Amino acid sequence: MIEVLNFFFNSLVFPGLLFASLIGLLYVGIDRKVTGHMQHRIGPPIWQEYLDVGKLMSKEDITPHAAQSLVFNVVPLIALGAVATVMLLLPVYTAQPALTTVADLIVIIYLLNIPAICLMLGGYSSGGPFGSVGAARYVVQLFSYEFVFILVIVAIIARVESLNLTTVVGYQAQHSWLILDWRLIPALIAMFISVQGKLMRVPFDIPEAESEIVHGPLTEYSGPKLAIWRIVYDIETLVVAGFIAALFLGGPVAYTIGGVQIPGVVDFLIKTLIIVLITTTLRNIMARLRIDQALKFYLTFGALLAIISLVLVLVVP
Amino acid sequence: MTFVVPIGPQHPALKEPEYFRFEVKGEEIIDLHVRLGYIHRGIERALQERSYIHNIYLSERICGICNVAHTTAYCQAIEQLAGVEVPDRARFIRTILCELERIHSHMLWAGVAAHEIGFNTLFMLFWRDRELVLDLKEMISGNRQTSASNTLGGVRRDVKPEYVPTMLRVLDKLEKATKYYIDVCSSDRTILARCMGIGVLTKEDARKLCIVGPTTRASGVDVDIRRDDPYAAYDEISFKVITEREGDVLAKVIVRLREILESIQIIRQALKALPSGPLRVKVAPKIEPNEALGHVEAPRGELLYYAISNGTEKPERVRVRTPTYANIPSFKPMFVGGTIAEIPIVMASIDPCFACTDRVTLVDSRTGKAHVVSFNELRGRIK
Repeated sequence: MIEVLNFFFNSLVFPGLLFASLIGLLYVGIDRKVTGHMQHRIGPPIWQEYLDVGKLMSKEDITPHAAQSLVFNVVPLIALGAVATVMLLLPVYTAQPALTTVADLIVIIYLLNIPAICLMLGGYSSGGPFGSVGAARYVVQLFSYEFVFILVIVAIIARVESLNLTTVVGYQAQHSWLILDWRLIPALIAMFISVQGKLMRVPFDIPEAESEIVHGPLTEYSGPKLAIWRIVYDIETLVVAGFIAALFLGGPVAYTIGGVQIPGVVDFLIKTLIIVLITTTLRNIMARLRIDQALKFYLTFGALLAIISLVLVLVVP
Repeated sequence: MTFVVPIGPQHPALKEPEYFRFEVKGEEIIDLHVRLGYIHRGIERALQERSYIHNIYLSERICGICNVAHTTAYCQAIEQLAGVEVPDRARFIRTILCELERIHSHMLWAGVAAHEIGFNTLFMLFWRDRELVLDLKEMISGNRQTSASNTLGGVRRDVKPEYVPTMLRVLDKLEKATKYYIDVCSSDRTILARCMGIGVLTKEDARKLCIVGPTTRASGVDVDIRRDDPYAAYDEISFKVITEREGDVLAKVIVRLREILESIQIIRQALKALPSGPLRVKVAPKIEPNEALGHVEAPRGELLYYAISNGTEKPERVRVRTPTYANIPSFKPMFVGGTIAEIPIVMASIDPCFACTDRVTLVDSRTGKAHVVSFNELRGRIK
């Protein structure tokens, strides 16, 4: 009985849906505020995302005539479920994730792809040209950044010799953070490049480039469904940052400062915020690339960096 | 298989409603159809219904951005009709206002262009520095944007001597900022990736299609009304006509940014040489039958006003040809063969201003049917 209750608490409250959406929305709010200051604007308050999502939630749920299908309505929920599940597989307060039995890196890679696939399905089923073009672009982008993303993870697997995220975090607790290993520095850079594509941030916000194709796959979404997409995006930002923190920054570490026990979740929040701010900086200093340029960039520069790391890990003792 | 991507009448890449029908194959653009006329406002007819003085304010409102160019061209045409000479000081003040407007228009455009390629930080920076120019405009004319400075026979407000030091200081600041932006735009890797070799308009095409303004100068055609047919005080000021050879979007960016530097030089010279004297001469309200042509180099290219008077206080006919209208034929050679991702930036590269453009839709008053006149039909009518 207590296990069942625990499971529900984990998936719905902490570290699942509620915690992830609260923090995710806050982080994207911070991202928008920092962006504002970088662009010499005042920017919205950091709780703006809560207001936006709340407003969207209160709107009427409209589905365009051409888009009336099960797929169009269901994909936001599937995407939300997938990203919230990843939250359960990440080390958030200790090296142990909330769901301990099934978690390994391959599951996480799969689950992180589900929102992308849902977005494509939503775009294709929306019945508009902008949705189709956006989805088509996202397919290309997925194949380019995901290749780099997986290569980086393979390099880390080769370094730690384990497929399990808990082991990766435990290894870093015993030895040192993987970011301090010079052989993995190219992989870290490649990771940030692929994450810009995964989170659709400039220069890789190509699938939803607003001045070209309105909002890409999300063009026909509105009201509560769009709000769910926003929450998905915001949680994904947090999840990806948490994933990098676990892979490179040693995951959550509990400290004792002056006799006061600081829980690991604070460390998790600090590390993820730093990672989010790095992606914020990157997105504010560049222009958007074209899809063919992005593909070329990922498959040459990004993949090259990741492969260099992999080879270094395998060859240099 | 080709399918149609509609850009407009409502689309975030367009700030004004016009319809562009792109036929695309995958991401590649095969063909393009332009449908203008969504914001036809009947201004030319309205110009016939109002007095010459009243028309200044109407012509000012044809375009929000290049309003000084519009009033300058209009006033020049009417002053020619009436045979009035504008005082020297007014000519210089007009020059200063025109150049301030060019700077602000180019900065506004550069910001929009940066937004079109997804570089929002640069967009905000351009617009921050544009505020400096708007402050200067406000100081001289009392209004940031629609200055209402020009009037028949001169200008309404003076550039007071105490303004000059402030203006010179702000111009120095602007010059520094513009040089920095030229540096950024010609060295940033992502900007180069999006702008270099994109939307190329060859010199032959630019000549053949009679393209005007910075768009044609970026293709290497050396045309500038300010030098070729000097108006205001441009004949007493030395300046270079900026041209680039490549004809791509990057060349259009660089031409406009370098024109800002040139405009700063022009304003400095005009401030230095500002003669003393009256600001305006009187123009009689009624003008004898006559016809005249006034044209200026607006920020977007040649802006032309043709006016006929009939002895009353209202013009018989005023014809306006705005630079965007002349530049629209350049879309086809620039777009075909490109990709969808290029649409916003290439469209922005001519600095389109559609509200000033819409003029030729014929509507049959009995049936209410609208009809757009084709080029061949127009030709037939001339014969």
